Amino acid sequence: MARMSVASFYAYYGENAALRDISLEIPDRQVLALIGPSGCGKTTFLRSLNRMNDFVKEFSIEGQVTLDGVDIYSSEMHPVMLRRRVGMVFQKPNPFHKSIFENVAYGLRIQGIRSRSILSDMVEKSLRAAALWDEVKERLDSSAFSLSGGQQQRLCIARALAVEPEVILLDEPASALDPISTSRIEELIQDLKTQYAIVIVTHNMQQAARVSDQTAFFLSGELVEMGETSRIFTNPSDVRTEDYITGRFG
Amino acid sequence: MDHSRASLSFHRRFRNAILGSLTFLFFGVAVAPLLLIVYVAWDRGKSVLDWNFISTLPTGFPVGSEGGILNGIAGSMILVVLASSLSVPVGIWAGMYLWQEGKNPAARAVRLLSDLLLGVPSVVWGIVGFYVFSTSTGYGLHWGFSALAGGLTLGFIMIPIVTRVTEQALRDVPISYIEGAFALGASRWQTLRGVALPGAMAGIGTGILLGILNVLGQTAPLVFTNYYNTGIPNSLVGSQGAVGDLAMQIFIYVHEPSKVMHVKAMAAALVLLAIVLVIDLGIRLLTWGSRKIASRVG
Repeated sequence: MARMSVASFYAYYGENAALRDISLEIPDRQVLALIGPSGCGKTTFLRSLNRMNDFVKEFSIEGQVTLDGVDIYSSEMHPVMLRRRVGMVFQKPNPFHKSIFENVAYGLRIQGIRSRSILSDMVEKSLRAAALWDEVKERLDSSAFSLSGGQQQRLCIARALAVEPEVILLDEPASALDPISTSRIEELIQDLKTQYAIVIVTHNMQQAARVSDQTAFFLSGELVEMGETSRIFTNPSDVRTEDYITGRFG
Repeated sequence: MDHSRASLSFHRRFRNAILGSLTFLFFGVAVAPLLLIVYVAWDRGKSVLDWNFISTLPTGFPVGSEGGILNGIAGSMILVVLASSLSVPVGIWAGMYLWQEGKNPAARAVRLLSDLLLGVPSVVWGIVGFYVFSTSTGYGLHWGFSALAGGLTLGFIMIPIVTRVTEQALRDVPISYIEGAFALGASRWQTLRGVALPGAMAGIGTGILLGILNVLGQTAPLVFTNYYNTGIPNSLVGSQGAVGDLAMQIFIYVHEPSKVMHVKAMAAALVLLAIVLVIDLGIRLLTWGSRKIASRVG
């Protein structure tokens, strides 16, 4: 069953169409990987799912993106409410200049939650879900910057989980990390998909093959094809997909 | 060429040496004026510099030939506090507005206006302050030559400085932090208050510092709004509400045909420099503190 659904979606930077006629479904409790060469529009697409492109000058869209049937670009959904339901983790870890605890609590605090016990519970739960709890439980009050890059990225995931989103968008979440931290993030994604719909942008073919259930291949702003990851990687229906995943270009 | 791996070529080392010396030379040229001021003021003024000098009011005839400069120290502090209490909130709000609104026409207009204000000569501010606050006839607030009139006039001068530095400091906060907050469902205001402002605090502190230092050195705006007082007033408005001011005091003392007053002017300059140093350190400490606080409170 689809959590989000995209129909005839176009995105423009000024006059330039960055995405053309994209239609796809984002399944619940599965991982959807977006692959494609640099500049193909996959990050633009990801950021369109929680309206992070709203801050980009001269960005405009056509078509429809729905979350549980509601058009996220309509007045029925405020962007702030949308982003609480569709969380995002960025390419580079971007913890705030706050303590580990406050980083995770931030999303709850801005919703007006003040109760120390609720905050503590949610912070612990989120850090556990992000597989970081055991490493930081003794030093929740230290600065987030005392953590390693891989830990910071898991902290950012915990921070996103704390507001209890329904969909999690990951923009190359492991590209700035070492191989060990990367594999921890990948294990984490496997755990998280039991509860969330996950969309991940990745440059790494092996990573897409390892973590995702569905794969969508983007090229020059178009969705070439989308399907079961195992099928896309073994028996793609479009020759351009085959060329890309076998390394003939990109 | 194997030997080139063992050591840098003569050419490279020569260039490093030249550039290194040039950097040092220009650094020297940059700090020379400060050293010169300190040296001259110390050399000419040290003979009267003691605890008495900074803790007593001027006496004697002409006034100031005996006693100290407590009136000037206290007055300068009062003027700085008054100027800051107008310009810091207004300037920070205006800076936040500019950051939020970016390039919309209203924000462009505010930015242009703010730049124009930066270029208004201080004597013009003095005349404006006179008409708005001090004059006893016509329109205006009829506050007389008073600390409030002088302080708010100085505040006007500070506003554009604080505004532009605040906006720039907010822009210098990495976009990734801003996006991180938005992605968690923070509103613009929450992002500004919780993430952007704490990150910009050190920069804003520098802006306030620049504004205060500018104000501490002003005399022209005070000529028409506060002028000078050899004592410390009980009131900040009205005909008895003027305060002393170190910069004005120095200006007046060097115009007296009295050697001892010239010496005191130099000593007062040293005190002014010391106050600048203390305020600088104080603001650094404060913004360091607020960064700490920001890391604990949302």
